[in-house]
Amino acid sequence: MSRNRRSLILGAILLFLAAGAHAQFNPTGSTTLSVNVASEAAIQINTATTTLATAGSAFSSSYTGQTSFTYKIRTGKTSGTGSITLQVTSDFAAGGPSVAAPASGDGLTYTCTVTSPGTACAGSQTARTTGSTSVATFGANARSVKAGNTGSVSWTLPNDPAYSTGAYNATVTFTISAA
Amino acid sequence: MFLAMAAWLMAGTEGRASTGMASQTLSAWLYPTAKLSVPAATTMSPGAGRFRSFSAVMPVTYRARTTAGGGGSITLQVTGDFSPAGGPSVSGGALQYSCSEASLGTACAGLQTAAVGYQTPVLTVPAAACTGGGGACSAADSNSLRLNFTLADDPGYATGSYSAQLTFIISAT
Repeated sequence: MSRNRRSLILGAILLFLAAGAHAQFNPTGSTTLSVNVASEAAIQINTATTTLATAGSAFSSSYTGQTSFTYKIRTGKTSGTGSITLQVTSDFAAGGPSVAAPASGDGLTYTCTVTSPGTACAGSQTARTTGSTSVATFGANARSVKAGNTGSVSWTLPNDPAYSTGAYNATVTFTISAA
Repeated sequence: MFLAMAAWLMAGTEGRASTGMASQTLSAWLYPTAKLSVPAATTMSPGAGRFRSFSAVMPVTYRARTTAGGGGSITLQVTGDFSPAGGPSVSGGALQYSCSEASLGTACAGLQTAAVGYQTPVLTVPAAACTGGGGACSAADSNSLRLNFTLADDPGYATGSYSAQLTFIISAT
């Protein structure tokens, strides 16, 4: 075999090996795109300020008002749970109503309405400053619609003549969770 | 085996005292061609905030040679929608992407919606383009671009892990 011919064959082999080093390049390429979807929840209070008003006169009816909200939730597929709760994080000022230490029968109470997949709180709840109280609960694989589902809390505050006249504000914090 | 043959051929050139000269004319016809490489797998990250879109950055590496009157392209097609069922759906338009930082050619403009049934644009390669070496060709070898994927985080998705198959196609004329 001539020297030139040997060199050509050697060159061909080296070219072949070099081509193999770039084997990851192809006319098409495939990739797997993965995403892990976890439990998640969010809430938006639509009524920034809820004014409690009384329709009656001479203490005949309580102050009432409604706070509406929109929630998004996704709970675990098999054993997930979720909840919406509220807590009065800032009480009414002295001289007026009180959430922390109301006179007998003067507690701030509420009822709940929530669209599926939530289950609204049962009956009338009494709001507290010392802990959260239920607004709604969710079971496993609960999923709201993309734009969110809605709910509301209807407040009742007795009109006690003992309250001094004036405007009183309390802050209520809603919390949503999902697992 | 190839290494053994190479060693044999190299050994054959040793120990000869004779000297010779030969001339050869080497001709090469370079056809338009293109190849690409993408990562085997990419995981999307959750957004910063509740129900913010998932996102992922995917680098695409490519080499291309186009003719004076030709051109080239890279396109994307979703060849397998997210599975299992109950999660995101490419068919529903949930997966979008933008293209940027192309070192050769023009990256796709704006936000593209990935599709299952047809190819969507990623890159356009101009005529008389080539990868590497500088001059008339790109300085970079290989060329690269970046895809930024976003996937809506719909509360309607059931929890779990989902995967989709994406296929990139490169062509040159």
